[in-house]
Amino acid sequence: MNLHCPPWATRQATLVCVLLLAAGSAAAADGGGARLDQLPQQWRDEQGQALAFTDLIGQRVILSMAYTRCHSICPATLGQMLRMQALLDARGEQASFVIVGYDSDIDNPASWRQYRANRRLERSNWHFLTGTQPAIRQLARQLGFDFWTYDTHIMHDSRIVIFSTQGLLSAAISPASADWSAVL
Amino acid sequence: MRATLMTCRPSRLGAMALLPLVMAILVALLPVRPAAAADESAALAEMQRKLDQSLKAIAALTERVHELEAKQATSVAAAPAATGTSAPDTARLEAAEQKLEQIEKANANRNTDDTGLPLHGFADVGVGTHNPINPDLKGFTVGNLDFYLAPRLGDRTRALFELNTEVSSEGAVDVDLERAQLGYQFSDEATLWMGRFHTPYGYLNTALHHGSWINNSLRRPKFLQFEDNGGIMPAHTVGLWLTGSRHLGGDKILYDVYVGNSQEIVDGALDMRNAGTSNGDLSGGGRMGYQFNAGAAEGLTLGVHAFTGRIADDLAPAGATRVRSYGAYAVYDTDQWENFAEIYLFDNQDLGAGGGTHHSNAGFAQFGYRSSWGVPYARYERAALSQYDRYFLALHGGGSYDRIALGLRFDLDLKSALKLEIANTRLTDRSSDEYGEGLVQYAIRF
Repeated sequence: MNLHCPPWATRQATLVCVLLLAAGSAAAADGGGARLDQLPQQWRDEQGQALAFTDLIGQRVILSMAYTRCHSICPATLGQMLRMQALLDARGEQASFVIVGYDSDIDNPASWRQYRANRRLERSNWHFLTGTQPAIRQLARQLGFDFWTYDTHIMHDSRIVIFSTQGLLSAAISPASADWSAVL
Repeated sequence: MRATLMTCRPSRLGAMALLPLVMAILVALLPVRPAAAADESAALAEMQRKLDQSLKAIAALTERVHELEAKQATSVAAAPAATGTSAPDTARLEAAEQKLEQIEKANANRNTDDTGLPLHGFADVGVGTHNPINPDLKGFTVGNLDFYLAPRLGDRTRALFELNTEVSSEGAVDVDLERAQLGYQFSDEATLWMGRFHTPYGYLNTALHHGSWINNSLRRPKFLQFEDNGGIMPAHTVGLWLTGSRHLGGDKILYDVYVGNSQEIVDGALDMRNAGTSNGDLSGGGRMGYQFNAGAAEGLTLGVHAFTGRIADDLAPAGATRVRSYGAYAVYDTDQWENFAEIYLFDNQDLGAGGGTHHSNAGFAQFGYRSSWGVPYARYERAALSQYDRYFLALHGGGSYDRIALGLRFDLDLKSALKLEIANTRLTDRSSDEYGEGLVQYAIRF
């Protein structure tokens, strides 16, 4: 679809174009405009304790989705988040790091506890969350995490979203290609 | 696109200037389909009618906007500067804000289950000095176009379908319903499936399915290929399958038990008898594994498996074999390593006039390393299959061989991978042929 506006366009035409563009953006589900308080709030962390995203408002939240049995994309994404943590440490800044499991059956608190221990991710500002499958799907949809399951495999991309201290989505990046240091 | 839109200049040509744009939108929204001339006329008339309506609406709206703009200009000029909104206005604004927030929340919480079933799958193409399945052919190859459907039907009901369009080793295009299974999940520890599923033996047959993209190596070991590609094990079973796992501390016990139609050998390939068997024979088996999830052994899974079935063939004279296969597998799957090995021992009994029991074995070991730039792998595979065993004699892929392969997988992006493999294969009984291969595969997921 060619969205170039011809020179005869009127103000109304611009409005129509903007509406079309807005519709396209909505369809892309890039998580634009998301707020922490509008996301599903019923989660359990790796200790089995209830945690709501609203509990984290007040400091920056860096969030991604992963699954414990992923040995390719998720470790790379996690590596990028660790580098983000190091950068923030160097700056003396605080943030919460949140990983939400794609699979409610497999990524339960016990699995995440083991995952943390195996990878020595012991800092208290890191949260590995488990939710119901409807909540996971809703969160993924709202934040633009596209995934589907192929038997025990989960087909997904690499994505990290960053929320401001007010709980507003401030950036959504693909760690492999983006210069994420600029958005921190 | 956004930048382009910002350069649009409003003109004062009026509503008629919208005509081409509105027409373009209407045309874009119209379904594309062949139609007779009469239909086209009717459609054009209908479009003209809608266009007239749209133009009238736009003209009315334009007039209203001008009217409001004029009114606003007058009131701004005439009224004294407002110091604040009145109480009723404030209440109305707050109510509107609340309403807007409710709409936003409702929109955010909208469930997408009613948006239909998304279609996903895999595809691959390749080129090589030999066809990866049939060494008598060479050149470019079309691999699989694999569609995967797993509709969500409820908390406990499961469904899984895999429709694969594949090019056979002879070049014919076949469409197979590779998997069609419905299941009920009793708990996290037990799911019962019925239908056509991948027979749970070893590791590879239920971990790496038809989509080439998920497999780091370019192809399966020769003896573990799917039935129509020369595999010697029944990769599919039509029947019942109970599967699950149970936590033991941090570790896990995995189990599978299954029973199904006994396969038959037809034209040199195993047929899983989708519609049932004429003799009512059943095949069955099981698998049990132990998965280490903590400590030094994290990522290691060890298991055993067994299969038995009375498998009829179409050799002359027709006969059958009681196939008994048992073996073991080991997997070491971590962020760095993807290593696995499987062994199969056969103790097959000829149920025909020849009688006797024949012993054979097959196995492979593959080592892969997940580096930041790709996954290099090496595989050794070997099958020593008795040619006195009518089961192997009846199978096209029932000859003995050994193969060593070295390969490399590059992920071009998160959805496509380029795989390279060089291999040397020695056929050790039906012929004493030996051939080398250089293969390239381009695999995607969608």
